[in-house]
Amino acid sequence: MDYLYFLYLELLHKWNLPDYIAMVTFPIIPFCFVAAALIVVVIFLVLAERKILAFFTQRKGPNRVGPWGLFQTIADAIKLLCKENITPEGTDKFLFTLAPLLAFIPVLVVWGIIPFCNEFDIISFSINSLLFVVIAAIPILGILLAGYASNNKYSLIGSVRSVAQAISYELPLIFVLLSIVVLASSMNLKQIVLAQSSIYPFCGYFVFPAFLGFVVFFACGIAELNRCPFDLPEAESELVSGYNTEYSGMKFAFFFLAEYAMMFIMCAFIATLFLGGFLSPLGFYVGEKLIPNEFLANLSVYFEQAFWVFVKTFFLIFCMIWVRATLPRLKSHQLTAFAWKVLLPLSLLNLLIVCLIKAVL
Amino acid sequence: MKNLKYLISLIIGHLTVFKHIFKKPVTLEYPEKKIELNDKFRGEHAFDVEKCTACGTCQRVCPSFGTIEIEKEKDENGKFYPKNYSIDLNKCIFCGNCVQYCPFGAIKMTQNYELADEKKSTLKLEINTLKRNYFDNIIDK
Ligand code: SF4
Ligand code: SF4
Repeated sequence: MDYLYFLYLELLHKWNLPDYIAMVTFPIIPFCFVAAALIVVVIFLVLAERKILAFFTQRKGPNRVGPWGLFQTIADAIKLLCKENITPEGTDKFLFTLAPLLAFIPVLVVWGIIPFCNEFDIISFSINSLLFVVIAAIPILGILLAGYASNNKYSLIGSVRSVAQAISYELPLIFVLLSIVVLASSMNLKQIVLAQSSIYPFCGYFVFPAFLGFVVFFACGIAELNRCPFDLPEAESELVSGYNTEYSGMKFAFFFLAEYAMMFIMCAFIATLFLGGFLSPLGFYVGEKLIPNEFLANLSVYFEQAFWVFVKTFFLIFCMIWVRATLPRLKSHQLTAFAWKVLLPLSLLNLLIVCLIKAVL
Repeated sequence: MKNLKYLISLIIGHLTVFKHIFKKPVTLEYPEKKIELNDKFRGEHAFDVEKCTACGTCQRVCPSFGTIEIEKEKDENGKFYPKNYSIDLNKCIFCGNCVQYCPFGAIKMTQNYELADEKKSTLKLEINTLKRNYFDNIIDK
């Protein structure tokens, strides 16, 4: 990072710009990369979800636009952009516009927290895993505002359900995170990943000591994302489409983008905590062994690490879609009962087991 | 114990769904590929004027009143024949009664099911269309 910063300073000096501009603009550059990556990932993810869901239900999925329907999402995005932005009568105009932004911007921020490789974790400080959980909860506020400002009973019910769900599921999530912190003795995500490295490939991953925690975290993650079987806030059969019923055009696109981006990040977060993040499950890096040039080999390792994060993340996303294809929606009271009566005790049990393991080893 | 049962069925359910990935998809890309029809499929009607004696049985057995309209006339030999014969597909329910009850086998059903049209009037099959259907679909086969 320092080396890149130096290059950047040099470039600005050539254009006779003062240093403080470099100081202000340099952190924005990785952020732009992240934002661009986000759009690409979301476009791919929406297509992947539709395709995989189709395979699970013995269909073919989108196959009209482009080869194998690859451009379907792009066509959908263009359609959304061209649509009129309708603000219904009786809405709170300011909050109605604020809500999609509030749902979307935190998602951009948490992207920076995930360590994609050894060097590339933009927001890196000692307790950034806690920051993730805190910021990842902000979109819920956006959803609440969307429901409140829409002047529509279905939206309101959807958003209230979403908040109730978030409150119940945040707690086991934090307890499981705590168990990981106990295992890694650190709250920095990069340190957590590095703590999972061991002499044998993938044996040190935290899924093994904290398998129970992994399952609980996965369930809570699904609930946080408002996905099936916990998709009560968007239950089509009861609430039209929940909190975003009144939204159209660009504002709806923001909600949509936030939802899928959050899905990717949540899976990346789980992969980082439990599946060794950017560590290679082979135990070594292919580029390190094959490329003779030392500089290029080091560089290729970074890309390989990012590759492994993506592989693990997409494996988890596949599992989420699998769950969605299998399970029906829970009832409202089952949802909260499941969180308080099943997941919370399990997460505490997991914490106990992990503490015992840590004490013995 | 009950919870354990739930857990097991949860796992079995997931595996069952997973198996679907390896099965052949049931999707049919409709306008390009068409479904294979049974021989007894009941589609658009075809009509053989030579056989029809304008007896009116088909009109009587048709459950959808007013679908079949026959205008009968006598030819020079004193035999009845249908001067005009029409089947209104707007009303027809494709039950196949007319085909089954016609004593002379004058009505047949073809496999054509792509009947969508812009105007209602074209869905009323006049005698000429029915005849053409007969030559195109029944005799050719
Ligand atoms: S198929 Fe049935 S409904 Fe249609 S004309 Fe024949 S008898 Fe009437
Ligand atoms: S089609 Fe058959 S049933 Fe109908 S009028 Fe002619 S002969 Fe009679």
